[in-house]
Amino acid sequence: MVTLSSAAPAVGAAFLAATVEVVEAFTIVLAAATLRGWRPAMIGTAAALILLAGAVIALGPLLDHVPITLLQLAIGIPLLLLGMGWLRKAALRAAGAIPLHDESAIFAREAARLDEAARQRRQRLDWMAGMTAFQGVLLEGLEVVFIVIAIGAGRGLLLPAGLGALAACALVLILGALVHRPLAQVPENTLKFGVGVMLSAFGVFWTGEGLGIAWPGQDLALFLFAALFLAAGLTASALARKPRLEIAP
Amino acid sequence: MTLLKEIVAEIIGMFVGDARLTLAVLVVVGTAAAMVVCGLAPLGAGGLLLAGCLLVLIESVWRGARPAMRR
Repeated sequence: MVTLSSAAPAVGAAFLAATVEVVEAFTIVLAAATLRGWRPAMIGTAAALILLAGAVIALGPLLDHVPITLLQLAIGIPLLLLGMGWLRKAALRAAGAIPLHDESAIFAREAARLDEAARQRRQRLDWMAGMTAFQGVLLEGLEVVFIVIAIGAGRGLLLPAGLGALAACALVLILGALVHRPLAQVPENTLKFGVGVMLSAFGVFWTGEGLGIAWPGQDLALFLFAALFLAAGLTASALARKPRLEIAP
Repeated sequence: MTLLKEIVAEIIGMFVGDARLTLAVLVVVGTAAAMVVCGLAPLGAGGLLLAGCLLVLIESVWRGARPAMRR
């Protein structure tokens, strides 16, 4: 049975992860649409979304037939690697050790790339704009598909997690349609930090269960793990901050 | 073909963003699994799994920031 304590982290993680990725995909789609209009960009986007939805529909129920301990290990370990990777990158960005993700710069780069291609092969530009949108949505969507399947499969949470991701898509599209420019104001790194925390917590929980560890408090242990990963991420980020030079009086 | 290559690269990049982090996490998971297989207290293995991952994260971020700290 799906309980609030098990569904809330799954839906939250899917929603936040999808928000991060959809914002990135939207920037690429917008660049393609700015150059050649919305038609080819929307065709490319729709084709990629159909392919991604097909992957969830095909793979999700298939995973229900895999023995639960094997599934927990097969999903828990990649989830742990993905979550800790996101958390590491977000902590480094928060510390100023690596640059923040800049949607406006990505938009300018994509637009310039398409513009350059337009000068070389004018007649195939609609096709190129469509393919750019298709590729952008497909590549950014892959992580969302993995996260939805990973946190949804085997626990009957595929639908809630999928709905969480869809809600994020709808929110970003509505915001994007309203502002009509790259969503550079979205606190991408904070979201990535949060998603990294949640995925790492899920990863430890499921890897442990797959190894036969019965966590005290069952699903509630997820909240403790998330709090510990949040504290570790913040500590790591503070340690990684470049020390400021003290000027002697 | 280029698209297929990019998809494969994206999938690999999802799990191996930093090779040393990936390796360290796998070592922690392997050690916890070995503890369970050897019949040691499963909760001890769980504690090691959790604490190991937290320490690996802190070390990995600190290591990743060192080039910027030297500048």
